[in-house]
Amino acid sequence: MAEAGSGTPEPITRLIEAFHKLPGIGPKSAQRLTYHILRAPEQEAMALAGALTEVKQRIVFCSVCINITESDPCSYCLDTRRDRSMICVVEQPLDITALERAGGFRGLYHVLHGVLNPMDGIGPEDIHLRELVTRLQSGEVKEVIMATNPSLEGEATSMYIQRLIGPAGVRVTRLARGLPSGADLEYTDDVTLSRALEGRQEL
Amino acid sequence: MGQRPRVYTTEGVILRRRNIGEADTIFTVFSPTEGKFDAVAKGVRKARSHMRGHLEPLTRSKLLLAQGRTLDVFTQAETITGYRALREDLDRCGAAVYCAELVVRFTAERQEHRELYELLVDVLDALDAEAPLHTVRYFELQLLGLMGYEPQLDVCAICARHLPEADVLLSASAGGFVCSDCRAVAGAGRVISVRAIKVLRYARSVRLEAFAALRLHESLAREVQSALAELIRYVLDREPNTGKYLDQVARLPRFIPAADRPDDVQLV
Repeated sequence: MAEAGSGTPEPITRLIEAFHKLPGIGPKSAQRLTYHILRAPEQEAMALAGALTEVKQRIVFCSVCINITESDPCSYCLDTRRDRSMICVVEQPLDITALERAGGFRGLYHVLHGVLNPMDGIGPEDIHLRELVTRLQSGEVKEVIMATNPSLEGEATSMYIQRLIGPAGVRVTRLARGLPSGADLEYTDDVTLSRALEGRQEL
Repeated sequence: MGQRPRVYTTEGVILRRRNIGEADTIFTVFSPTEGKFDAVAKGVRKARSHMRGHLEPLTRSKLLLAQGRTLDVFTQAETITGYRALREDLDRCGAAVYCAELVVRFTAERQEHRELYELLVDVLDALDAEAPLHTVRYFELQLLGLMGYEPQLDVCAICARHLPEADVLLSASAGGFVCSDCRAVAGAGRVISVRAIKVLRYARSVRLEAFAALRLHESLAREVQSALAELIRYVLDREPNTGKYLDQVARLPRFIPAADRPDDVQLV
């Protein structure tokens, strides 16, 4: 970093560089954030430092569903009131939050932490598929709901999983695809629109 | 290439995407007039974005772009072909992504390749209309030809004498196939059957529909596939990323009901 040259104290350069590594933070933003921290009250800076340490020390991956959690297994996997015959497969932990907020699903989850993206070299071994297959071996699971994004990559991941686990005799379903609320028919792409037509329902 | 106007329209096939920031995405587009280029779509990951579905990879769209400082910016997009059937089939979707990757790897930025564009669209159209997977072999051979790497299929790549109607050695470094006299010069290589060479010659000379209608035995299809893969690997000096994925897909257990399965199963 040119600006943080020889005259700048070393701790400051270090913090600037640390911020610069974050996604979407350029060299100028990194400097601004650093000088903001310098000016901020000490307890605010300490709280940030504490939060950073804690998130790395206390958050682990659930050994069952690979969700992020404070205790392994996670609260969803431990909850005896949840339906153990259904697993909803999502791309990211945040997708669980969205589904929980929406309500209506009382089964278990499985987080892939990514999707297949062959052109960028992300293959089946790079997402948590093996753990899903292991979970199906007990025979307790009757249905796997694919809740990956309706994108090329998300769809390909769903189809891949379907072919992978289909022979196990588990029912594999997919979230409905169609128009989101607030959408504009005029601007909707043909693929979405034709799926929405197929999935139409009695009023 | 000339000066582009500040705002311009083109059409193109979306080849790949890369998310940046909160809601923006950079798309790599292949256009008949602009060639391959990157452009950014602002806010396209928001649920209410009007361009979202029209910029999905493997979509052929009409595009309106505005020149930007570093990257041009999409201002409007409308689907020409969404290739829905293709994206709902694991094998064909993989095959199409593979073709898209070859275009990404073989072409240079902003260089017009109208014929290659037409070839790509033809192959995507065919795969969308459930053409067999060996259609991809047609794409590979024609692509090599269009990019100036057409393998020698009639004469020995070393001594230029007519290839015998017999099994020959593939030498990617010599640029084609090698007769038995020149084998020692060519060194190690894969032996390719005369039937596979005939399939390649056929792919060179006929239209896509004719090649797609060909019934290839699985083992012959695989032989043609590995020959082309070797030529491509030599030219690119790398393995296309999608190649490995296609192998993994091909190894998955198949539980297609026997009735729906074509009698000549081809694997990409």
